[in-house]
Amino acid sequence: MARDPKHDILFEPIQIGPKTLRNRFYQVPHCIGAGSDRPGFQAAHRSVKAEGGWAGINTEYCSIHPESDDTHRLSARLWDDGDVHNLRAMCDEVHRYGALAGVELWYGGAHSPNMESRSTPRGPSQYASEFETMTYCKEMDLNDIKQVQGYYVEAALRARDAGFDIVYVYGAHSYLPLQFLSPFYNKRTDHYGGSLENRARFWLETLEQVGRAVGKDCAIATRFAVDSLYGTSGIEAEVDGVKFAKLADPLVDVWDIDVGDIAEWGEDAGPSRFYLQGHQVPWTKFIKQVVKKPVLGVGRFTDPEKMVEIVTKGYADIIGAARPSIADPFLPKKIEEGRYDDIRVCIGCNVCISRWEIGGPPMICTQNATAGEEFRRGWHPEKFKKKGSQDSVLVIGAGPSGGECSRVLMERGYTVHLYDTAAKIGGHINELALLPGLGEWGYHRDYRETQITKLAKKNKECQVALGQKPMTATDALAYGADRIVIATGSSWNTDGTNCLSHDPIPGADASRDDQLTPEQVILGKKKIGKRVVIVNADTYFMAPSIAEKLAAAGHEVTLVTGVHLANYMHFTLEYPNMMRRLHELHVNVLEHEFCSKIEPGRMQAYNIWGDGSKRTYRGPGKPPRDENQSHHWIEFDSLILVTGRHSHDSLHRELHAKTGEWEKNGVKAVYLIGDAEAPRLIADATFSGHRLAREIEEANPQLPLPYKREVAKWGVAHVAGTSAALEYKV
Amino acid sequence: MATKILVAVKQVTALDEDFEIRADGRDVDADFFLRDLNEWDDFSLEEAVKIKEAGGEVEVVVVTVGPEEADESLRKCLAKGADRAIRIWDEAMEGSDSQAIARVLAAAVQQQNPDLVFAGVQSSDHSFASTGIALAGLLNWPHAAVVNQFEFSPGATQAVIRRELEGGVLQMMSIDLPAVLSIQLGINTPRYASLRTIKQAAAKPIEQVGLSDLGLSATDVGEAGSASRVRRMYIPEKGRAEMIEGSLAEQAAKLAAIIKEFKGASA
Ligand SMILES: Cc1cc2nc3c(=O)[nH]c(=O)nc-3n(C[C@H](O)[C@H](O)[C@H](O)COP(=O)(O)O)c2cc1C
Repeated sequence: MARDPKHDILFEPIQIGPKTLRNRFYQVPHCIGAGSDRPGFQAAHRSVKAEGGWAGINTEYCSIHPESDDTHRLSARLWDDGDVHNLRAMCDEVHRYGALAGVELWYGGAHSPNMESRSTPRGPSQYASEFETMTYCKEMDLNDIKQVQGYYVEAALRARDAGFDIVYVYGAHSYLPLQFLSPFYNKRTDHYGGSLENRARFWLETLEQVGRAVGKDCAIATRFAVDSLYGTSGIEAEVDGVKFAKLADPLVDVWDIDVGDIAEWGEDAGPSRFYLQGHQVPWTKFIKQVVKKPVLGVGRFTDPEKMVEIVTKGYADIIGAARPSIADPFLPKKIEEGRYDDIRVCIGCNVCISRWEIGGPPMICTQNATAGEEFRRGWHPEKFKKKGSQDSVLVIGAGPSGGECSRVLMERGYTVHLYDTAAKIGGHINELALLPGLGEWGYHRDYRETQITKLAKKNKECQVALGQKPMTATDALAYGADRIVIATGSSWNTDGTNCLSHDPIPGADASRDDQLTPEQVILGKKKIGKRVVIVNADTYFMAPSIAEKLAAAGHEVTLVTGVHLANYMHFTLEYPNMMRRLHELHVNVLEHEFCSKIEPGRMQAYNIWGDGSKRTYRGPGKPPRDENQSHHWIEFDSLILVTGRHSHDSLHRELHAKTGEWEKNGVKAVYLIGDAEAPRLIADATFSGHRLAREIEEANPQLPLPYKREVAKWGVAHVAGTSAALEYKV
Repeated sequence: MATKILVAVKQVTALDEDFEIRADGRDVDADFFLRDLNEWDDFSLEEAVKIKEAGGEVEVVVVTVGPEEADESLRKCLAKGADRAIRIWDEAMEGSDSQAIARVLAAAVQQQNPDLVFAGVQSSDHSFASTGIALAGLLNWPHAAVVNQFEFSPGATQAVIRRELEGGVLQMMSIDLPAVLSIQLGINTPRYASLRTIKQAAAKPIEQVGLSDLGLSATDVGEAGSASRVRRMYIPEKGRAEMIEGSLAEQAAKLAAIIKEFKGASA
C-alpha cells in the first residue's frame, strides 16, 4: 500500500548546514544504556532506526570530559580515542542505511555527580544540584570558562573524527549552557551574568568555537529548553526563549527545542498518564517564528496526521522523537509504505526512561521487546527467523506475554492456537487501561490484537479462541498441540500477602463485600463506601492510581503505605505529577505505616519503624527489638488491598504433575512465561513471551540463551597504544 | 434409524486491504480473495453438532458447492464435529446464482435423504439470503428462515423453532420434518477446533461429487442455469471529507458556505 499523499510533506528532504536530512523523521538524543562502553549495542540500536527510515539519529548525551561524569547513570563519552573508536561503529552502521549520525555534546555542571572520575564539576555560579544528591559545582572564573569551552571544541573534533554528521551543544535539561542562560542558576555579576546578552554569552561563544572547529564538515545543532516551566525564575519561552533563539540563530544549523529542566524532565518526556501527543507545542511554537534555521520539536509524535499538522502549521520543520522511535524503530518506513496499522505506538509509560533513572541498566521498552536486544541477542524488530519445525503451539493466555509470544511465533510461520477465557486479547491491560490516565497503555493490546488478527488470516491454521472456558490440564494435553505455552498471568492477592511480612494480613479477605482487590475496583461490580482505606505494599502505580480514581469519584481516601509510595514512578518521571494529583484530590497518605490486622469496618495500622532503634540479643523466641506499640485503628467502609500479586500457575503445575501423559498426547514441552511465571513489569512479561518465541527450537527454551556481553577485556587498553597492565606509580 | 442433518456451507471470500476488480469488470480479481467459511455456517454447523452431542444417533454431513479450495472450509467443519463432508463441483457450475446452487443442493439432498437441512441465513460475500429458501422450494419441503432457537430430539417428527421477525418480535413455531431451516447468527456460540481435531480432520476423506453423479447437466448450472447474472462490480467514488478549522464563528461561516454550495446558488 502506498502512503497517503497528505503525508508526503514528511518525506521532503531538508538541508541542515553542510548536510541533508533525507526526510523529516529525526531521532533526538536519548539514552539506551550503551554509551561508548557498549559499541555493539549502540551501533545496532541506532542503525536499526536508520534502516527503519529515520533521517537523523543521535547518540544519548555524550560527555565531553571526565569533569562531566554521570556515573551511576550511563552517558556516551568522547573523552579519548578509545571512545572515538567505539562510537565510530555507530556512525558507520547508521551511514550504511543513508541516515545522518549526531552526537549530543554534554557538560553537566553540578548535575553530574562525577562518581567515577571524582573531578569537580564547574558551573556559572556555585549551586547545589536540585537533581543530584550532595553535588555542588565550583563557580567558574574566566579561565575556567575558556578551559571548558576548549573541552567542547576538543570533543567536537573527536566527534568529527568518529564520523558524526551533526554535533550538538546541549543546552536542554538544565545542563551547562542553559545554566549560564538561566537566572535560576546564573547569579554572576560579570559579563557572563545579569542581562540576557551576558547570560547568553557562554552558549554563543561555545557555539561559535565549535562551529569554527567542525562547522564545515558537520551540522551544528543546539538543544534548547525554551521554557523552564518555572515562570519568571527560569527561562520563559516568549521572553528569554525567543531572544536567545534570535541571538544564536546565525550560529546553528538546526534547532532542537523542548521544554523543562532535569529535576522534572517528565515535563519533556511527558508520560501519557499526564500528557498527550504534541503537549510541548504551546511553548515551543514561538521559536520557529523568530529563527531562519530549521527547527525540530518533540512531543511523543506517533501519529502522521499530527506530524503533518506540526509541519504545516509552522510549529517545526522536523519531527523529533525519542520514545516513538524506541517503540517502533520502523515508524517512518511504515508511514512511507502506508502500513499505518502496523505502527507499534508508544504507550507513554516511560519504562524506557526508568532504566536510565535507575542508573544505567540497558533500556527496555514495553511495546518493543527487541529494544536493547538488537546486538546482544541479535533481535531485529521487524525480521524473524523462519520456523525451525512443524510443531504446533497452543498458547494459553492472550495477555502481554501470551499475545507477544503468539505474534512472534506466527511471524515465524508457526501454527499457533491462542486461547483465553477473556473476550478480548490483552489480559490485564484491558483492566489497566481503564485506570485514570492509562488509556494509551491500551495500545500495547491494540498492536498485538491487530497483528495477531492479520497473521491468523494469512495462516489459516492459526486460531484465536477467545471467551473460552478455563482450560484444564486434561483439556490442554488433549488439545493436540506439540508445545504448550502457559501465559495465564497473575492477580492481586486477596489475603493481603505482602513483601513486608511475606504472609497474609490477618482478616484480609477480598471475597468479603467490604474488601476489594484492585481488579475488583476496576471492574466496578462491588459497591465501594465513602471512607476508603488502601493498604499498600506495592512500589509502582497501582495504589496511587486506585487512590486517584476513587478520590476523583468523591470517596475519602486514606492510603496506608508500608513501602515508599510509587517509588518506581520516580524512575518513570510520573512521580511529581502523581503526587500533585493526590494532593489536589486530598488523598491522605500515611507513610511508613502498614496493616497488622483487619476487622469488619476497621483496620489496625502500625508505624513500620515503631519497634525501637536498639537491637539486643535476648535469646531464642524473643525478638531483638522492642514490641511495636504504635498500633492504632483506622475505620473504613471499604478496604482495598494493594499488597502484592501472585502467579496463576496452577495449570502449569497440573501439567507438570502429568508429565507421564505428555508423550502419548504428543506433547513435547510445556513452558511458562510472563506473570504466570513471576509477576513483573508489562515490558518484562512481553519480553518473556517474545524471547520464548525466538528461542523455541533451543534445547531448553524455558531458559534464555546466553547473550553477547560487551565488557572490558583484561589486558586490552581502552585507548589503543596505552598500557593495560597493572602498574603502580611509585 | 439415525437422524441425518445436512448442513449446507459455503466458502466465502473476504477482501484484502488492497484489491482490484477483474479485467471483465464482473468480480474482484481472485488474487485478492481471502477465503473462509461463511460466518453463518459456523452457527448452523454448531447447531447440528450440538444436537449430535446431546445424544441419540445423529449424523452431521456438511456439503458445499465449490472448487478444490473449498476443501479447507469443509475440513474446518470436520474439525468442529461434522461426520462427513461432501464437495460438489464441476467447472460448469462457475457463475451459478443462488437458484442454480439450490438446484445442485436439491439433487444432493435427494441422494442423501436427510431429516433436516440447515443453511445459513445468508453468505457474507454475496448476501442474497436465498439459497436455503430456494432449496426448500425445489424440494417442496417445509421451511423456516432466520431461525434463532431450535429444539429437537433426534428421532422426533417435529421440531420447535423460534424466529426473529421485524421490530424485535419473536415467533415460536413447530415444523414438520424433513425441513429446511436457515440459521441466524447468535443462535449458539460456535466452538473452535482444537489442534487435535484439525489434525484428525486433515486425514478424513472428502467425498467428491460431480455433475453427472447428481443427474444434472451443464445447462442446469452456471450462468445457463441461473436466473440472474452479474453485470458489473465496481467501487463507488468516495465522498469528500474536510476538516473545518478556526474559531467557532469561522467554523460556522465555512459550514454555511459549504451548505450553500451544495444547495446551489439559489439558497
Ligand atoms: C530513554 C530516554 C532517554 C533520554 N535521554 C536523553 C538524553 O540523553 N539527552 C537528551 O537531550 N534528551 C534525552 N531524552 C529526552 C528526549 O530526547 C526527548 O526530549 C523526550 O523524550 C521527549 O520526546 P518524545 O516525546 O519523542 O519521547 C531521553 C528520552 C528518553 C525516552
